[in-house]
Amino acid sequence: MNLSLVDPFVLAQDYPESTTGSLRSGHATCVRFNRKGDLLATGRVDGTVVIFDVETNGVARKLKGHTRQVQSLSWSRDGRYLLTSSQDWKCNIWDLQDGSILRSVRFETPVYIAELHPWNHLKFVVSLFEDQPLIVDASEPEAAKMNLPSAPKRTQYEEDDTARERQNAQDAKQSTTVATFTASGDHVLSGTNKGWLNIIEVSTRTTIYSTKICTGVVIFLRLTNSGRDMVINAQDRVIRTIQLPNLSAADLDPDTIDIEVEHKFQDVVNRLSWNHVAFSSTGEYVTASTYNNHDIYIWERNHGSLVKILEGPKEEHGVVEWHPHRPLIVACGLESGRIHIWSIIPQQRWSALAPDFAEVEENVEYIEHEDEFDIHPQEEIHKRRLDLEDEDIDVLTVEPVKGEIVDEENSFRMPVELDLNDSESEEEFVAVGRGEMRRKSPTEGRNFGLDGELPGSADEAIKKAKPKTKRR
Amino acid sequence: MRTLEGHLAGVSTIAWSPDSNAIASGSDDKTIRLWHRATGKPYPAPLLGHHNYVYSLAFSPKGNMLASGSYDEAVFLWDLRARRQMRSLPAHSDPVGGVDFIRDGTLVCSCSTDGLIRVWDAATGQCLQTIVHEDNAPVTTARFSPNGRYILAFTLDSCIRLWDYVSGTCKKTYQGHINVKYALGGAFGVTGSDAFIASGSETGEIYFWDVKSKDIVQKVSGHQGPVMWVDTCPGQSGTLVSGGLDATVRIWVDVNEDEHDHANGITTGHENNTALQGFVDDNGGMVQVKIENGGYGDDARERMSVDVNGQETPAQYAEESIGGIEPEEMLG
Repeated sequence: MNLSLVDPFVLAQDYPESTTGSLRSGHATCVRFNRKGDLLATGRVDGTVVIFDVETNGVARKLKGHTRQVQSLSWSRDGRYLLTSSQDWKCNIWDLQDGSILRSVRFETPVYIAELHPWNHLKFVVSLFEDQPLIVDASEPEAAKMNLPSAPKRTQYEEDDTARERQNAQDAKQSTTVATFTASGDHVLSGTNKGWLNIIEVSTRTTIYSTKICTGVVIFLRLTNSGRDMVINAQDRVIRTIQLPNLSAADLDPDTIDIEVEHKFQDVVNRLSWNHVAFSSTGEYVTASTYNNHDIYIWERNHGSLVKILEGPKEEHGVVEWHPHRPLIVACGLESGRIHIWSIIPQQRWSALAPDFAEVEENVEYIEHEDEFDIHPQEEIHKRRLDLEDEDIDVLTVEPVKGEIVDEENSFRMPVELDLNDSESEEEFVAVGRGEMRRKSPTEGRNFGLDGELPGSADEAIKKAKPKTKRR
Repeated sequence: MRTLEGHLAGVSTIAWSPDSNAIASGSDDKTIRLWHRATGKPYPAPLLGHHNYVYSLAFSPKGNMLASGSYDEAVFLWDLRARRQMRSLPAHSDPVGGVDFIRDGTLVCSCSTDGLIRVWDAATGQCLQTIVHEDNAPVTTARFSPNGRYILAFTLDSCIRLWDYVSGTCKKTYQGHINVKYALGGAFGVTGSDAFIASGSETGEIYFWDVKSKDIVQKVSGHQGPVMWVDTCPGQSGTLVSGGLDATVRIWVDVNEDEHDHANGITTGHENNTALQGFVDDNGGMVQVKIENGGYGDDARERMSVDVNGQETPAQYAEESIGGIEPEEMLG
């Protein structure tokens, strides 16, 4: 409801300008906003999932259950459930009402990416390392796993046997690297290591359409909020955007699907490759973090031009995400594990502080009103003023704000925990005395049996003592 | 009935968290404390940072933030989970009388005896609008309307004004009561589909105005002294609660049609003056009255209390009295 008071020039700006802060809790490797945009889930190297409150920039919840690095995160539509996949070969569905694990599903191989069904928080699709992707239905405690094909659909079969054999051999090498649901949840879009894009119907689990989109591995797929557009990051250093056909149309004929690349974004000069891509809130912009480089690139999709290169901390960034309705980008620093934020800081309007003053561009000649210094009796002014107050006032009806997600009456709201006791224990800095802090050693807290060890020899102790004398 | 103890000086304000599980209290000992409603125990660390008496508090609608107004002329925004001060807004040039959050949590309003009402962006901490009336009367309480379109401001010229904060114009002025000395407070209420405004008066009555016509629709008396605060029950029941300087809290119910009659429950037990905000728990019929001891000279000594199991809770702090402040001093 602050929009009516915010400077329209600030609102017109729809991509971020500069770094505005950072978040830190351990070494984060992946981030994801919920649909409302008030919470940011981050996965850490140690397997902990930390949920930040975007409004306060504080930790709202910590979810502990994974033992290895968190690989991907996916929110349910109502924001109550969170799906995480980790390098411990497991996927967990968390219930944020109390922070418990609702379901835990173990796989035979490491998981690349797991994505929740848009409407069913107990169904998700996973792409696995050197294995067929799976649709997992966790409605029962014992999750049902269903195979999805990786091989592309061939439109025509080769006539002679040798050619067909060759094709089959090629198809056998295909493996799905990334898979996600469409907006309706009726189809799965998947990318393979040979650069194919498959559209798989969920009900029959067959590929209804395939196209070779690029030569290298498809690294990542992401849809806009509306589900009409898709961005693809591939190994060939090109980011492609695609307008998806309406796959849930009743009269859909798979043979007439035609997928064309809308834009190709690349850095021809530096030949940069891209670590991660994301759409802006409306899908109007595409942002990407760069490999071996510190910058975050932003392209706009109307003309397909580069609009901004965000500079920030001198660090390569991994996962980058755009806030679901604000011009705000977050990215994970690869080295520090810190989450950096870019957004817009509006200027304080001075006229807001002094209502009698107005900001003017240049000097304005003041024109005195005819009755400006007329003297009226106090009561008359008062009465006239009161008589003017005849407007019809409604203090109850809430006007819906355009473009905002309607806050349903019974929508989920994560309980605020006022006693997050464990948040202190994981701080990197420990107090050693009054006002003195020291950085916690990375192995502290993880007992590998080293704690009880005595210093190995006498000269080791001397080495330790030396720098002290130098510093003096 | 349970007494929450821990403050070293008088308590000026309390606020319910949106989920009704926590209570925040602001005190003349410059701290804000958070309490479990269920156990009556305080959360370990108080919110420290204000340089002077804490005079008003408001939870954000999500319950993740708290706004506090203080005699140190600043408004602080707190991250409640970390109990960390997020922002300090250089709000006013006089003690801050009231703060409130808008229903979606994006704006905070504050008011002060310097006669200004300021509207702040909760996310950036910037001032977005300042409202001032020509007469510059001290503003003691400000709160957003239920839909967030207007701000209701109580001033010491015996007026309550409804401001459109976007245009900065006064839309309605409600008059009839007397308010020149104390920081009175009131609330919006709903009966049927109509909205009313309820406020106490220093003459001891509670006044009800129709929001649209500005007419006094009802006037009830029950308190012996000034009625410091009136608060309405959420929803359309028309129930409200009032507290006065006569150290009573009265609960009022809508008897028939629009008639608010007969105080049917009187809660006493405060020998000292009470400044208070009545309130009713969100969930179901249980009526909880939020009473604030005005803290005029009274202190932790009087607040030995009994917890859930009937055991005596040990006093956590020294029972020394730190002189409270009379409301007149603030508003004089």
